[in-house]
Amino acid sequence: MKSTFQLRYWNHINGWLLVLPAVFMIGLFTHYPIGANIFHSLFSMGTVTRPEVFTGLENYRYLMDDDIFWKVLKNNLVYSMCTVPASISIALGMALLINRNIKGRSLVRMSFFTPTVLPMIAVANIWLFFYTPEYGLFDQVFAFFGGDSHNWLGNPNSALYCLIVMVIWKEAGFFMVFYLAALQQLSPELKEAGLVEGSGGWYYFRRVTFPLLMPTTLFVMVNAVINSFKLVDHLIIMTKGGPDNASSLLLYYIYENAFSFWDTSYAATLTVVLVFILAIITIIQFTVVEKRIHYR
Amino acid sequence: MRLWGVEIGKIIETAGAWLLGALWLLPVVFALWSSFHPAEYSTRFELFAPLTTENFVRAWSYAPFPRYLFNTFILVTLILAAQFVLCTLAAYGFARFDFFGKDFVFALVLLQLMIMPEVLLVENYRTIGELGLLDTIPAIGLPYMASAFGIFLLRQSFKTIPKELIEAAQVEGVSALGILWKVYIPLSKSTYIAYGLVSVSYHWNNFLWPLVVTSSVNSRPLTVGLAIFGAPESGVDWSIITAATVMTMAPLLVAFILFQRQFVQSFMHSGIK
Amino acid sequence: MSIISLKNIYKSWGDTEVLKNINFECEDGELLVLLGPSGCGKSTTLRLIAGLEIPTSGIVEIGGKDVSDLPPVKRHISMVFQNYALFPHLNVAENIIFGLKARKIPKKEQKKRLENAADLLGLTDFLDRKPSQLSGGQRQRVALGRSIVAQVSVCLMDEPLSNLDAKLRQEMRQEIRSLQQRLKMTMVYVTHDQVEAMTIADRIILINGGVIEQHGTPEELYNYPATAFTGSFIGNPPMNILTPDTQLLQACPSILLPSVDFTAPYLLGIRPEDIEISSDSGMECLVELTEYLGADTLIVCKVEKHSITLTVKGRVAVSAGDQLRINWKVEKIHLFDAANGQRIEHLKGATP
Repeated sequence: MKSTFQLRYWNHINGWLLVLPAVFMIGLFTHYPIGANIFHSLFSMGTVTRPEVFTGLENYRYLMDDDIFWKVLKNNLVYSMCTVPASISIALGMALLINRNIKGRSLVRMSFFTPTVLPMIAVANIWLFFYTPEYGLFDQVFAFFGGDSHNWLGNPNSALYCLIVMVIWKEAGFFMVFYLAALQQLSPELKEAGLVEGSGGWYYFRRVTFPLLMPTTLFVMVNAVINSFKLVDHLIIMTKGGPDNASSLLLYYIYENAFSFWDTSYAATLTVVLVFILAIITIIQFTVVEKRIHYR
Repeated sequence: MRLWGVEIGKIIETAGAWLLGALWLLPVVFALWSSFHPAEYSTRFELFAPLTTENFVRAWSYAPFPRYLFNTFILVTLILAAQFVLCTLAAYGFARFDFFGKDFVFALVLLQLMIMPEVLLVENYRTIGELGLLDTIPAIGLPYMASAFGIFLLRQSFKTIPKELIEAAQVEGVSALGILWKVYIPLSKSTYIAYGLVSVSYHWNNFLWPLVVTSSVNSRPLTVGLAIFGAPESGVDWSIITAATVMTMAPLLVAFILFQRQFVQSFMHSGIK
Repeated sequence: MSIISLKNIYKSWGDTEVLKNINFECEDGELLVLLGPSGCGKSTTLRLIAGLEIPTSGIVEIGGKDVSDLPPVKRHISMVFQNYALFPHLNVAENIIFGLKARKIPKKEQKKRLENAADLLGLTDFLDRKPSQLSGGQRQRVALGRSIVAQVSVCLMDEPLSNLDAKLRQEMRQEIRSLQQRLKMTMVYVTHDQVEAMTIADRIILINGGVIEQHGTPEELYNYPATAFTGSFIGNPPMNILTPDTQLLQACPSILLPSVDFTAPYLLGIRPEDIEISSDSGMECLVELTEYLGADTLIVCKVEKHSITLTVKGRVAVSAGDQLRINWKVEKIHLFDAANGQRIEHLKGATP
């Protein structure tokens, strides 16, 4: 017989052995690179002839003066502030529609969800053509109404918004699914009580459905914000951040610096900023979202 | 019908849903249209335009799509298998063992939910380089194999399994790993399916990280192959690009249409914390 | 004046008919209980009155007006749900006046009604709490409060006590009854618990398999069950229903049996509390088991293959295996037609 002490000892060992492989891998590809990024951001870029040199906060000083960085950061904020609320409200609308007993609802649900299973690259290819001047779908529709041809993606004023429209289309169906799940968990009795009490439609939505969906909204919002910082596949196909960085986003700028300009030190510096932004979102998530009111 | 005259509202509701649904399907329908018609019809929508598979044949001959498809298939399988093993073990550890530093380690793991490997691509590229794995399929999968999301989902699922079942197995003399294999895993089947579908769709579609670490046909997955193929400088005809696009998304799309319910439910399942 | 009336109501879900020709009326100020086993259609009946379901055919009238086409809110009813349907994110006060706000009742009036209801229900100190911070009984009171402030003529209750423990259930039952009488509310109350129905009801409608078995006061249902089903459903322990065969007729002295021709198929009903132990006369039987319940003892005995349950006051010194003689007054026998379960009067001059 093992003693209690031994049993407890074994519990520790077994627990650690079980989690160790995964923890090691996560450490290697998440925590180590965070540290390494910070470390490398303090050095100058080494070349074949010149080794990298410790430069302290030099890279950060450069960053503060880098107009492109500020432009990209602003782009990313605009991008997040447009895609997140729009895709969330469309997702909620879709979920409410599908939750009703309408004809052909599984078909409608399928079409809402379809963009979610498509690769961003494929989606970008299709939409690239929509935005093609003269031949593209948008210009054809405009031409039908007597409009002029637009260089949608070639115009610095519209390029970013073209991406935004596409991303909303791509993501709304994904977020809809979470709302659907939440709606299914609402007790039908509440809806009936609402009917008896005379609160149909808008009043019921505003006073009951929407507040009860708040935890889902917060969850979806955090995911949407993170996505808006980590998903830049479409830029590579559609605009390459252009014209004149008008549609560039932070992660794309990092990619460009690291793999087009081969300035890994500056890319590391930018990554530190991105990680910092994500860390702030994480903190908000843990302080606001996790401490949300638990009703039941 | 006599249900307090909501019929009008119902019609508007249904029409709205259908309209929105059609709008959402439009890009996919368009891609199918232009891939199955000759180039001159790719922007002219005539009901009786001649159908053709020529675009697919040519796309197939211009670029090594079978090889890309094979790479993606290997990649997705490799990742899924590794994720199932690593995440199952870790989730079991977190769900049923009390060990020193557990909460702290779990919090560290969850950090990956927020800061995904592709965000850290600069340093991960360096790490893969130092491991001598650049331009290989395992290199694409390695950063994703231990998935915080998978650990989290499976841990949740394991925690819902009643303690009596475990105790019954213990009384019968089943070992810790035996309990994992005979009780936890079979009872979490739906979570494995859900996680599997989410993971396969994610990695089938993933692009930025594979683009960075691959540099040859031997390791490129479909998405990267498509991007290179479709780049404007490649000078390929538009309808052929759409054909290639359709080929890239077809396997997942067909699977989705066939198992629609399962897919939607899986994504739902994965979202309920 | 009848305030609710259901006329020729039929309701089907697809091919299954759940309600068949339901007709009844509920008087003003009355507490009417819809009683029946689960799945019998009693909740559906209530939901038809509320307007949450629409009958396949037939008419629902409230206050003398045909409301079959009206949505719930226009029917001037209130409803207490099985799980109370309290909004988890609203506090007690907001929950109670939820409907008043929706109907844009003036703020001053809302406040007055809220205070009044909270006072009646003893909720004054809990108005700021969330439903999750309340006990089961308190939640039940909040749901009642919502009904009271609505100030409508009819209150519908769908198994309102089924989520409470036995002791609380009894308390709330009495409270609901006294509230109903004080406020002169008309109440339609659904339950599957016959004790609850017997104690609370002015009248009971017993439903089984989608049809009304019997409609009457608790006394009528107990004393003159219209069908064998009513007989066995009302009363605890349930009425013995015996199928007389030659063995039973031989064992049983004819003085204990109604004077009918037993070649036709009949059912004999006798309540356990109407049977007594006798020392010299009566029917011989074998004790199978006894259960001492404190105030009385329940004895299950066998005559051939028939099982008969009886209850006797206090503790009785019999145990399994003993021989026993049992006796009853023949007028306590309820006679039913075995073919359709309908009651047959076997005594002259006895009318329900």
